[in-house]
Amino acid sequence: MKGYRYPAHWLMVILVVFALLATQCAPSSTPTPEAQATPTAASTETGAPVVEQQLTPTVAATLEVSQQVITQVVEESEAAKAREPQKGITVVSDEDVTTPRTKRGGEYKDVATSDAVSFHPYLTTDTASSSYQGMVYTGGLLRLDENTLQYIPNMAEQYSISEDGLTFTFHLRKGMLWSDGQPITARDFEWTYQQVINPANEFPYLSQLEFIKSYKALDDYTLEIKIDKVYCPSLGQMSGLITPLPKHVWEKLPWNDPDKNPEMNKPSVVSGPYKLVEWKRDQYAVFEANENYWYHGAPNISRYVIEIVPDQDVAYQKMKTGESDTGPITPDKLKEARQLPNITVYEWWPAAALWSYIGLNMRSGFPTHDLHVRRGLSYAIDKDLLTQEVMQGQAKRLCSVYPETSWVYNPDVPCYDYDPEKAIAEFQQAGYTFQDGKMVDQNGKQLRLKLLFGPNTSKTRELIAVTVQDYLRRIGVETDIQAMEWSAYLEALHSNEPDWDMYIGAWQATIEPHIMYTIWAEENIPQLNSVAYINKEVEKLFEEAGSNCDVEFRKERYQKIQRIIAEDAPYIFLFYNKSWSGQNKRIKGIIPTALGIGWNMEDWYIEESPTP
Amino acid sequence: MRQALTRYIIRRGLQSLFLVWIATLIGFTIYQLAPGGPLQFLDDDPKRTAADFERLSALYGLNRPILVQYLAWLAGEDWFVLLPGGAAWQSGQCRANPERCGRGILRLDFGRSFYFKGSNVIDLIAERIPATFMLGFSSLVISVAVGIPSGIYAALNRGKLPDHIIRVTTVLVNTVPEWWIGLLLLIILGGYLRLVPLGGMETIGDGSLLDRLHHLALPAIVSAISGWISISRIMRFEMLEVLNQDYVRTARAKGLPEHLVIWRHVLRNAILPFVTGLSGIFLIFLSGSILFELVFSWPGMGRLAVIAINSRDYPVMMGLFVISSFLGIIGVLMVDILYGFVDPRVKYEL
Repeated sequence: MKGYRYPAHWLMVILVVFALLATQCAPSSTPTPEAQATPTAASTETGAPVVEQQLTPTVAATLEVSQQVITQVVEESEAAKAREPQKGITVVSDEDVTTPRTKRGGEYKDVATSDAVSFHPYLTTDTASSSYQGMVYTGGLLRLDENTLQYIPNMAEQYSISEDGLTFTFHLRKGMLWSDGQPITARDFEWTYQQVINPANEFPYLSQLEFIKSYKALDDYTLEIKIDKVYCPSLGQMSGLITPLPKHVWEKLPWNDPDKNPEMNKPSVVSGPYKLVEWKRDQYAVFEANENYWYHGAPNISRYVIEIVPDQDVAYQKMKTGESDTGPITPDKLKEARQLPNITVYEWWPAAALWSYIGLNMRSGFPTHDLHVRRGLSYAIDKDLLTQEVMQGQAKRLCSVYPETSWVYNPDVPCYDYDPEKAIAEFQQAGYTFQDGKMVDQNGKQLRLKLLFGPNTSKTRELIAVTVQDYLRRIGVETDIQAMEWSAYLEALHSNEPDWDMYIGAWQATIEPHIMYTIWAEENIPQLNSVAYINKEVEKLFEEAGSNCDVEFRKERYQKIQRIIAEDAPYIFLFYNKSWSGQNKRIKGIIPTALGIGWNMEDWYIEESPTP
Repeated sequence: MRQALTRYIIRRGLQSLFLVWIATLIGFTIYQLAPGGPLQFLDDDPKRTAADFERLSALYGLNRPILVQYLAWLAGEDWFVLLPGGAAWQSGQCRANPERCGRGILRLDFGRSFYFKGSNVIDLIAERIPATFMLGFSSLVISVAVGIPSGIYAALNRGKLPDHIIRVTTVLVNTVPEWWIGLLLLIILGGYLRLVPLGGMETIGDGSLLDRLHHLALPAIVSAISGWISISRIMRFEMLEVLNQDYVRTARAKGLPEHLVIWRHVLRNAILPFVTGLSGIFLIFLSGSILFELVFSWPGMGRLAVIAINSRDYPVMMGLFVISSFLGIIGVLMVDILYGFVDPRVKYEL
């Protein structure tokens, strides 16, 4: 017959090509941490460090602003020093939580570049889902005080810790209600806990609950949690461990089958500041104030709408035109955003700051196995220049594991300030010779190192990579840069037989310093401890600091750890980032602190004036 | 003729099914070979331990050999118990709760999504089909409505100014990626001039016909560009070919007015490929919509595919794969059959 225009075998070829192309696609919808605009940012309180997904370049901050905020952070660290020991204590709150808010009404329009996956608090791991869940469910027995960064009573109006430090008792506030008018009780907490620990129920972070020996409701308003051995971060971890689900609704439903459990994607009975009105996947979600919210009743802003937009540029445009009240500001737009007539840009140095580093492969067989090589590399790179030029003032230098915002920060560690002569001297100690502008080993071969970074779409990381390459060339070391798609990058990083010498990475710091133990523990090679850092003394210090809760004792240990790790130079520590958020000027009541701006979101209110 | 056609359809149908099967096998393997997996969200998460990873792998059956996973996807896993030692091949979820056993694509069970936490794949796809069809269909209509007249016009004025203008424009527009044009127009028309909304399918809380058309306009026009260009080119080419035919010369020689020559003899023959090819072109629009759905945050299958690919959500990817293959097969069959009706010279050989 006369030619087909679209023969079937061509179709198959096209499909296969499509599949091939598709699997090569880089993640495009991963959220950018610095540009996060969701006001529910205070979720890092108890969380572990999170690897940053994508980094974008930064432009200019006024020095004035930075210094003002720095003072604030330093003061907070001072306050944080006064942490009480966590044994044999009882803390009671007399905070009034019932006076209703007065500036109610209006609609807040939020934008997001990726939609939530589910409202089920125990199945998801992405930030979009947890911010949606944070709208409708609340679970903090305690919360972090925004000024002192200490845990203070929240849903529990009183808590006590036994003399041996192993039994924690929480007394819940009476009168807290689900949105359907039923009381929120300790039974809800206990029932939820029991569901979560069932291995068939798919909770991804089950190992996080292992330190708990028992979790019981003694009566409707008393929770008793027991642990096996003294573990200092436990109070913080317990306070946000279980977000209770309404037992009276959920116990009749299958836990994790969205076909038969409508609550999973359309929660009808909630405890948070907002109730879900409508959720159209990948389009929008609409929330309305929950009159029964336990903390001062309904939030000021009556409706909260999240619209899903394709990318950050469009989201930014929406904020600019007033179609949304907030939007992500990529670092290159920061300068422009500060000038926008309808937008206020709030900036703060977060207690849980994101910090960047270059990991050095410490496995034997690699040049970076040698301590002198690692120190030489650290000296060879001008980290001040990187901080100033690459991050354009939106970051500060970091010398060891904890940024200045941490209460255990140790200023007295080797920082490897830029010094090419010292760098060459270190290389000479490792047996290299610097001749004719080349760093050669005993066999006369020039040193070549492979530097990995991902995702390949990150401009900041690309800039860091080429800057490093340039500095190393000055001391005669050649660098092969390899940019990788995110999944491939992680796979290369977590490989048992890595082929790289260096990689560019970042961690989100935590307020609780102990969490950082995981990235230095031998048992976490090659996943979290990708550089294969093994130092038994550091592990011992971490163990001690985790099991003796005396503040000074802990602080001393963590400071020692910072010095040892800086001396061992497993990473070239670079800088930690500032955070910022753009909000329409009609939104009032926003107070940036080291916790960000989301901590008092229910108190924000709308002052009506024409937008923009 | 009728009987030959039926046999032809059956033969082609079976052929196509075989092709889809091979395609799924290849697709499944390729997806599995790509770095990462459905649990990669845990890869860089310090809150999980290796034990968490293994527990979830076993629960979802991701620790099984690829072929077993493929078999479970194809034919279901509930019957594995009938085989000696087959229970070990079932996923942990299936062993714990028989209701969660996959039934396999052969029994029209598309499985459950990893990324969307147990949602049925077929529901996820079904709720996105209308959006994709709406965009695909409107851009098809626009590109035909613009492409055919401009092609005709260019052919009739061959070598003159209008032809050059159309040709240069098409080349110019063709050198720039359409999604980029889309993004640019979105930011200019939507961001600065505020003539069109900045993406999305409807205004939250509105959703009236007018509102939807307002949202549809820019994405439909932009995604019609490439179709308009190729249709216009093919049209021009076909027209020129037909214009050189002897019967056109004959028509002119017997003194037929020029507009009748064009209308009755040239156009009818030149337009034939389009009539039959429309369903095929529509398919190209459907598959080409991915980028536009991303640019205009259009909640269609393309966006779902990107989410599924980035999160290595095998069941969703395979579901989309199968559905689009079937749409393709139906399209191709329709082209073949239509061709037979339009052009009586075509014989369905067996």
